[in-house]
Order: sequence, then structure tokens, then C-alpha cells
Amino acid sequence: MQSKTLRDILVLLTIGAALFAGGYFLVREISKSDYDLSYQVSLEQEEELGNLFKDLIWDKYPTVKDNYADSALQQIAKRLVSALDTTEYRYQFTIIKSKEVNAFTIPGGNIYVFSGLIELADSPEEVAAVLAHEIGHAEKRHVVTKLINEMSMSAVVAVLSGGDPSVITQMLQSVISNRFSREHEDEADKFALQLLENANISPKNMAKFFQKMSDENLDYNEDLEFMMTHPHNNKRIERARKYKTRNNFIAEPFTIDWERVKKELKSE
Amino acid sequence: MEFYPLQQPDEIAEREKEDAMGAYLMMFAAVAIGLPLPIINLIASIIYYFINRKKSRFIHFHCLQALLTQIPTTVINWVAVIWGVTILVSDQYEATEIFWAYVVFAAVCTFLYFIVSIVAAYKARQGKMYYFLVFGPWAYQIAYRVRPTDTMQSNEPLNKPPF
Repeated sequence: MQSKTLRDILVLLTIGAALFAGGYFLVREISKSDYDLSYQVSLEQEEELGNLFKDLIWDKYPTVKDNYADSALQQIAKRLVSALDTTEYRYQFTIIKSKEVNAFTIPGGNIYVFSGLIELADSPEEVAAVLAHEIGHAEKRHVVTKLINEMSMSAVVAVLSGGDPSVITQMLQSVISNRFSREHEDEADKFALQLLENANISPKNMAKFFQKMSDENLDYNEDLEFMMTHPHNNKRIERARKYKTRNNFIAEPFTIDWERVKKELKSE
Repeated sequence: MEFYPLQQPDEIAEREKEDAMGAYLMMFAAVAIGLPLPIINLIASIIYYFINRKKSRFIHFHCLQALLTQIPTTVINWVAVIWGVTILVSDQYEATEIFWAYVVFAAVCTFLYFIVSIVAAYKARQGKMYYFLVFGPWAYQIAYRVRPTDTMQSNEPLNKPPF
């Protein structure tokens, strides 16, 4: 009887372990399917989509080009991009002249930063943290996944084959709103922290900048509002603050005159 | 170890069958009331067990089986609830893939438990024994075992003269 009981306990434990393993497999498959979804759009298609958005952005927003602020942004971006192990994108970084505190990524590795965000930052490292987060969204193909989820794959294909321009505008609005799922935000954060470390920029700058926005109670956009008011976001700040860098990590400061950058953007 | 003989379905009164079935069915209502805190079902099972266990061995067995199986189910669900609440309120923990795997595990366990409980309730209503893995034999041992006190009690009359 005792051996039967032991056998029954073993059977029960095996069923339990199998259920847990099955659950883990299911969760992994679900997160993978999100990733697979983005691969329905090829890199070439993503670039085409990005070009369509770029035209609209140029029509809608004034950009800051060929001045000290722009070259400072390119310097920060260059450090981050060279710290990427591999990338399939040719990244482009542009400053948009606007008081809004925002940054967003459009398909094809095009990242836009509003001048309001740069003016708020106290150092190039803080801007680097925001850029690293946006690069995370691009590398993990969150923008394309979001577009497919929100607008459907057929809408994306229709836009690529020269469909209704109002749909493109609608898509751009969705991209600029920069509102991602919590999972995608977490993923981009983790990616950014690692990238900052690889680029010899202290990951604590990410916590510093997010905290600043939260403390100053800024008139931020929907995404940032979500980020600052949701309890989950304290966790994001905390995670950045507690991120452990490698033992021999030494932060390399940028040789950028940050006051000049801010002054130049203000006078624009 | 000695056991009392098992009664056959035609030897069990209808009322006993209903009470035995009630041990499993009562849990469903209690679960609905207790959500999202899976504790009411366990409390209800304990109360039901203590009220009914003396009625007959058949009822005792089914009440005990229902109660014993609810303990691991309740623990599994409580771990999920506490883990989830900790993630929500604390800055230290995150909803990892392991957490979500555990949630799936807890949900499937609860679902399977519901299914076997329905089967057990149906069998009990027919006056049949139905043994869950591990807990069935355990409940049988407790409900049907012949205890030394049982024979002592049978030899000693309950009603005695005053002197």
C-alpha cells in the first residue's frame, strides 16, 4: 500500500511538473508570437513605411539641422549605435523643434527627439538614456508589432502599396503617441540599460531623467503620463536605479557643451 | 490495518448520497463567493466536513476527500494571489515568465480539480466510491479504518443506570 501511495505521489508531482512546464512553454510561445508578428513585415517594407512617415513628419514639424545641438545629438547617437552588437537598421536621429517633452521611433530605425526633451535634460547622458530606450523599441521591432496590432496587417500592406493617405496619417499618430504595452516598455528599458552600459554611459541616467519628469509634473504626452502615473513606472525607475553594471565599468563623459546645446535650442 | 466493509450503492440511503455529493458541489458556490481570495471554499469545506462526518462512513469519506484535495488547490491559488499582489504593490518584483507560467499552472490545476470534483459528485450521487490520486486512499484510510476505540465503544453500553 505504501509503494502505491508513493507511486501516486510521484504521478501527481509529475503531472504538476508537466503542467508547469506546459505553462512556461505557452507563455514563451505567446511572447514569441508577438515577435514573429513583426517579421511579417520585411526590413525593406519597414524602410518604405519609414520613408512615408518621414515625409509626413517633415510636413508637420520643423526640424533642427546642421547646428551644434544637432551635432551633439549625432555624437550621442553614434556612441550608442556603435555599442550595439549587431543591427539591421541604418539609424537616423532628428531633433524636432517643439516644446513637447517626447521622443518617438518610426519604422526603419528613424528616431525623433523633441527639443523640449533635450532642454529638460541636464546632461547628454540623460538624452542618451531616452535614445537607448527608443533604439530598444526599434531593435525589438515594437513599432511594427504595434502597427499590425492596432491597424491590422492588411492596413500596413495597403499603405505600402499606395493606399489611403488618411490611413498613413492615422498610423503616424499612433507611432507619435509612442504608447506601447507594458511588456514592450519593459523590454525596451532592459535593452536600454544594457546598451547604456555597453556604451560606457551610466544607466542611472535613465532613472534620473524619468524621475525628473515625474518630480517636475510636466505637461507630458499620453505615453509619458502613463509612464509617470502608473505604479508600474516607479518600478521602472527603481530598476534603472538598481541596475548593476560590470565590475570594471567606468562611465565616459561626453565632451559636449550642454549649456550651449540648450541655449541654441532655446534661441531657435 | 483493518477496515470496515464498503457499502454498495443499493445499501446507501438517498439522503447519504446527496450529502456526499454536496461536499463537492458546495465548493463551487464557495469558490464563486471567495474569489479573488481563494479561502472561503476551504473554510466552507471544513465546516461541511465537521457537520457531516458523523452521519456515515460514506459521507465521511467524500467530505474528507473534498476537504483534503482543497488544501493543495487553495495553497496553489494563494501563492498565485500573493505573488501577483506583491508584483503589483512592490517595486522589487516583476511579472516574469516564471510568474505567468505559474498562473497558467494554477489555472489548469484549478480547472482539473473542478472537473474531477464534478465526476466525484456524480459518482457520490450514485452511491459509488471515487478515489482521487493520493487523497482518495488517504481519506478512505481515515473514514473506514477500524479504530481500537470503536470496538471499546461497542462493548461498553452508552446508556447506563445512575447507580
